[in-house]
Amino acid sequence: PGWCPRVVPARGRKSRHAPPAKSKAERVKMPPPVDPEELLVVLERYRQHRLELSALLAEFRAEVLQKKREERLSGEDSAELLAEHRRLMAWNDEENARQRARREERLRKEAEEEKRRKVEVAEKQARKMEAFLKEKEKEVLQLQEEAKSFITPETLDARIEECLDNPCNYNFAIDKDGRVVKRTVLS
Amino acid sequence: GSRLLKGYHGGHVVIRFALGGCANRPFFRIVAAHSRRARDGKYLEQLGCLDPLPNAHGEKVAGLNLERLRYWLGSGAQLSRPAEKLLGLAGFLPLHPMTVTGAERLRQRRRREGQAGTAPADGPGTAP
Repeated sequence: PGWCPRVVPARGRKSRHAPPAKSKAERVKMPPPVDPEELLVVLERYRQHRLELSALLAEFRAEVLQKKREERLSGEDSAELLAEHRRLMAWNDEENARQRARREERLRKEAEEEKRRKVEVAEKQARKMEAFLKEKEKEVLQLQEEAKSFITPETLDARIEECLDNPCNYNFAIDKDGRVVKRTVLS
Repeated sequence: GSRLLKGYHGGHVVIRFALGGCANRPFFRIVAAHSRRARDGKYLEQLGCLDPLPNAHGEKVAGLNLERLRYWLGSGAQLSRPAEKLLGLAGFLPLHPMTVTGAERLRQRRRREGQAGTAPADGPGTAP
């Protein structure tokens, strides 16, 4: 029993398999001293306290049961509760419908926006493609034009004669403003 | 009875203190919980709080939800000893006997110390 003097102390730091310390071998645990008059007084007080407490708790229990009973009984006027419920459900449905309408409106607008943007993008692409193709066409035409003045093996001799006949002087300098200076010899 | 998702076999509802706060700063919540739950674990309802350290005006402040306390006590909750003492001091329940006994003992101890203080003071006072 708990009041037995030779008892293993409650283990804090040590495990249950660790032996007690040698310094504690002669230790005898005694229960705390009890004053008999005080004990009587305290027991009487406890008895009184338990009486009052149990009475109070019984009161609380009765109160809770009463409340439960009232709740159960007052639920019998279910007609107006049902009506209330239906009204609230109807209102809820209206709200839902309204929100749905707004949401659909928004989604429709967004879909339209998307389509318009897509169309715009496609148009821009098409235009770019067109411009690109036109550029290429122009280049091709220009090349064709230039091809007329190309030197071929047949016109080679004629062109050489031509160049030799008209000597061209490329001796000119250019200053920072881009003006051409033909006078190369310092005089 | 109270049903929990955890599914205990046995146990009951208790109204006790759950400790919170920081190091060297305790704070108690008065809580209705299942008896097998951890002290600071999931509870059914919080019914109040208690600050054990005195505030700037030297008062120890506690808050109680008496309405819900009545409900839980009426539904068969048990109380822990410190919770009983607190409610006794608050006046909601009758005063706990150990509160009175503790106060008496303190008073006696103080009187004894007072007498022990005056008796040796008389002794060396009268002797020389």
